[in-house]
Amino acid sequence: MNFNSVLRFCALASVTVALVMGVYLVQESKATSYLSNDSTACINCHVMESYYVSWQHSSHAQRATCVECHLPTENYVDKYASKTRDGWNHSVAFTLDTYGKRMLITEDGARRVQENCIRCHTSFSRTLIKNVDRYHAFDSESLGKRKCWDCHRYVPHGKVRSIDAAPVRLGAKWTQ
Amino acid sequence: MKKNSFILVGALIVIAFMTYMLLSIQTKKTEQVLLNTAPVIKEKEVEARSDIWGKEYPRQYDTWKKTKDSNKIEDLVEKYPQLAILWAGYGFAKDYNAPRGHFNALQSNINTLRTGAPTGPNDGPMPTACWTCKSSDVPRIMERDGELEYFTGKWARLGNEIVNPIGCADCHNSQTSQLEISRPYLKRGLEESGRKLEDLTFQDMRSLACAQCHSEYYFKKTPYTDKAGNKQMAAVVTFPWAKGLKAENMEEYYNEYGFKDWTHKLSKTPMLKAQHPGYEIFTTGIHFKRGLSCADCHMPYIQEGSVKFSDHQIQSPLNNIANSCLTCHRESEEEFKKIVEEKLNRKNQLNVLTMNSLAEAHLVAKKAWEVGATETEMEKPIKTIRSAQWLWDYSIASHGSFFHAPEETLRLLAVANNKAMEARLELQNILANHGVTNYEVPDFSTKEKAQKLAGVPFDKLVEEKMRFKKGLVVEWYDEAVKAGRLDQNWWNILPDNTAYPQN
Repeated sequence: MNFNSVLRFCALASVTVALVMGVYLVQESKATSYLSNDSTACINCHVMESYYVSWQHSSHAQRATCVECHLPTENYVDKYASKTRDGWNHSVAFTLDTYGKRMLITEDGARRVQENCIRCHTSFSRTLIKNVDRYHAFDSESLGKRKCWDCHRYVPHGKVRSIDAAPVRLGAKWTQ
Repeated sequence: MKKNSFILVGALIVIAFMTYMLLSIQTKKTEQVLLNTAPVIKEKEVEARSDIWGKEYPRQYDTWKKTKDSNKIEDLVEKYPQLAILWAGYGFAKDYNAPRGHFNALQSNINTLRTGAPTGPNDGPMPTACWTCKSSDVPRIMERDGELEYFTGKWARLGNEIVNPIGCADCHNSQTSQLEISRPYLKRGLEESGRKLEDLTFQDMRSLACAQCHSEYYFKKTPYTDKAGNKQMAAVVTFPWAKGLKAENMEEYYNEYGFKDWTHKLSKTPMLKAQHPGYEIFTTGIHFKRGLSCADCHMPYIQEGSVKFSDHQIQSPLNNIANSCLTCHRESEEEFKKIVEEKLNRKNQLNVLTMNSLAEAHLVAKKAWEVGATETEMEKPIKTIRSAQWLWDYSIASHGSFFHAPEETLRLLAVANNKAMEARLELQNILANHGVTNYEVPDFSTKEKAQKLAGVPFDKLVEEKMRFKKGLVVEWYDEAVKAGRLDQNWWNILPDNTAYPQN
């Protein structure tokens, strides 16, 4: 009887502790910020700071937030599926320190960005399509699977970027 | 029992996991704080020496230092002798050159004939306010002594204190390195014009850092009692922005205030002098309306390896078209230069027309006084001249107004020219009433002739200036170096260019 009630008490207590810790963890990890479109959510983790800063100093900062390029914007199922997948990969990599110093976009990530380039620059991409046989033959046999940034290499994060060489002291300005 | 055991074990595993996560998050947050901590240049007060900043910000410092390369003198009175007539009786008739790079500002300020040749701390034609936009020592002194105290006394009083050219501390906070308005009068001006300081964005700051100096101002006489209990009078730099930033708004402000900068030596007009209203006129132009800031074109980004920073060699974007204009526009550099040149030529044409009309109006007015015109007769034309010259000056006094706001610049020049012609017609009638029918204005086609008409004792001014430069200025810089206010005496590295002959 005693053992049983002690066990029940311990179970109850540990569930309570777990719940309280859970709430605290949500707050500490700023978990709810990931539900927003706010670009500063991306620099909750410092690995993204050089990317954030190079975007913030680019003309794209005037028009597009991080997720407006990096996530699907029209298909909500795709958007949240991508967000979940990326979120999981990022948390695992960041927590276990398994990321490299020179990070590259995934194939799926590149697909989404390319779609968003075309979505915003529609009038421009129409011109591209007209000139397709000359410069911009995406997915053609002769040129292969080209992405916008294969040529526009500085847009918007600059050409050379790695965490070690990032301008640490440039910092992320005026965000908080 | 079995159920409780499961719950307990499950909860403990969750707790263990969450503890690990919390510890991990804490570690990463500590790393983040360390990564993002900006260097503190100085614990308290203002660090005016840019060399000290340069140790932490070598790239920005190096590009800033290149502003010294823009050191040629272009004598504008030589180029446009009309100016000596327009500013007769005022400092600008003595010496007025095209702008040079920030690093040269302090040298220009000491070298110009306008600041005269003081022989001691309480001597000379100018107040301390004339240092205000020339040096990063200005915010240092304002913070040390108080703003009103800074704005008290003669220019020469602070000669051994104001020794660093325009530099880091003019725009950046010495503790946080962030952009900051170091001149309190800009904050007052913004508030008077109806803007809320707490609403200013980073993009706003990228223009307002420049607006601290590239704006129209006047010296407002402000009485106060100093710390020792003595009554003092400060000449405080003030922005006339309460009615708006346009030329007509400011004119109304000054008229209501009954303000004049000086009385014109030839026409006896109570004149206004526009002082580079660069920010104000920029706000009427398309680039401002599209959300651009000064820094977007004048401080384009540079990439060095993976480090992206803004170019602190602030200069005309035409020297760096590829990195400034062409980041948004798609024309070729050649084509771009042509477009800008065309804009400049349009302004130059109207500018010369207007200056000639104004100069002639002043000279005809002088003749009218000479032949006995009364104050009642002269009231109207003089008022018109005052307005015309203000509008003209506002339109061209700032750097690059023809580009910052082409339409506004041309509009103001056209209105100014029209007003100058109106004044001339009225004056012609007055002359006729006094029996003069075919008066021709004297020749002012060279700097020498124009300055003679304006009564500028050029040779005497140069002689006095040279005495001042070889005496008091040398003392100032010896004292400043000794007191550690200056790391490197820039007089030794800057070529000493002036519009007047030095010997």
